[in-house]
Amino acid sequence: MSPLAARIMDTLRERPRHFAEIAELHLDVPWREFLKAWGEVRDSPRIGRQEYGLYVVKDP
Amino acid sequence: MSAGKPGFRDVLRALADAGEVLRVPKPVDPRHVSGLTAQSKQATLFESIVGYPDWRLAGALLSTRRRLAVAMGCSERDIATRFEEGARHPIDARLVADAPCQEVVAEGDQVDLTSIPIPLMHVKDGGPYISATLVVSKDAQYGRNVGSYRLMYRTPRETGIDLVSPSDMRRYYQRALDQGRSLEIAVAVGVHPFEMLAASYKAPIDVDEFAIAGGLHGKPVELVRCRTVDLEVPADAEFVLEGELLPIGWTVDEGPFGEFSHITGEIKWNPVFRVKCITRRRDPIFYMLQMPWENDWLAAPVTEAAGLQALRVASVEPVAIRAPVGACGYWTLIASIRKRPGEGKNALLALLSVAEVKLAIVTDDDIDIYNPDDLDWALTFRVQADHDVLVISGARGKHIDPSVKAWAAGKGGLPTTAKLGIDATIPEGVPRAQYERLRYFAKDAVRLEDYL
Repeated sequence: MSPLAARIMDTLRERPRHFAEIAELHLDVPWREFLKAWGEVRDSPRIGRQEYGLYVVKDP
Repeated sequence: MSAGKPGFRDVLRALADAGEVLRVPKPVDPRHVSGLTAQSKQATLFESIVGYPDWRLAGALLSTRRRLAVAMGCSERDIATRFEEGARHPIDARLVADAPCQEVVAEGDQVDLTSIPIPLMHVKDGGPYISATLVVSKDAQYGRNVGSYRLMYRTPRETGIDLVSPSDMRRYYQRALDQGRSLEIAVAVGVHPFEMLAASYKAPIDVDEFAIAGGLHGKPVELVRCRTVDLEVPADAEFVLEGELLPIGWTVDEGPFGEFSHITGEIKWNPVFRVKCITRRRDPIFYMLQMPWENDWLAAPVTEAAGLQALRVASVEPVAIRAPVGACGYWTLIASIRKRPGEGKNALLALLSVAEVKLAIVTDDDIDIYNPDDLDWALTFRVQADHDVLVISGARGKHIDPSVKAWAAGKGGLPTTAKLGIDATIPEGVPRAQYERLRYFAKDAVRLEDYL
């Protein structure tokens, strides 16, 4: 996993978040770079969804 | 304009000529295009996208009835009849060998959805969305189908796709799923609104939506064969995604998304679209369908035309019809008719048969259904609730209406809805003379300005 994808995972470990919240935390990152990292996050089996669409890191 | 039918860029030009496009020259991040478009009274054309030097981005092209009328080349009140007339005279599409949408091709390892400036639109969306899609699929028995389904970015090669609502492509996918195979699809973005309208039209399953679009244009839609799937797409599209819906059923999270109902929808369970090939113009324009108004105005003529058709099938003579934008151009139909005894009810039954229309109001032809005061007057003085109101339970509903409690239907399940019809025509047995509007004595004989 890239350092940026790992950072995104860390923000989700803090608490469940909407996608836009995560994107807002990384506005300094070029959109394309962010989307590639987001793709890595989405590929992780640890990523889940809560009610209302919040992303969450599931317990191992 | 090319020698063939007009395309997406011709519509942009027509809207610009009508003063309906705001050109934005400064570089804009894809995360900000939707928020900026929401502040504009005109459609937007972003001429420089940060990180995407080959691309421009256009949004909200059809967010008002006036813009839709400009795009369709007719007056605002003629939209429904213009659509219905074109749809009644389909013209078969024709194949061409060369296509602007295939000037640049990325296959195999080159496929990367992050090369497209997919915008972040709403604060509770599950990801960036491609909202202005024309999705083509094929079934061995029923043939080609064209619809519109939103795509949520997941990874550089995968998107989610909202395939929950009943549709022909949902049926095609279910049939493929039953055989344990994927369903090939191709997604064209940046096409003429006639193609988008035809895709939204609930045509019989064996009717080719591209032929309906041809009828709307009065010329055939030119199609080109895809590079990696056995499908055809409009040659003049801005870009195309080719690939397959994986045979996994409704199992993967998709959404929420800012829906055309003006509210954020639920998280849904849907299939995944795996992209095998991306083709595009050298200088593509990403078309962002700005929710909700643009979707609503695209829905309205389709709903109105379906209402006109239903009335004619029921042998009722329509005078005017309106799918109000407050009901998203989708859930309500108001029609005035030239009524014979009993036809107020016949008209209601016909209108309530249209898709997920859940409120229908029918008036006589002396009522201007575009005037809310006139409509209220008819509802007040021509309706007796115990005779003129019709309620139907358990009809097909749509997920994004919270009142149908779609969550109770479970993953991939379909909700039902109740439907309400109001017959606001003059009741049988009440003389028309009872409704003669008051007139002022000597109004035509005297002039106010003569006394000022």
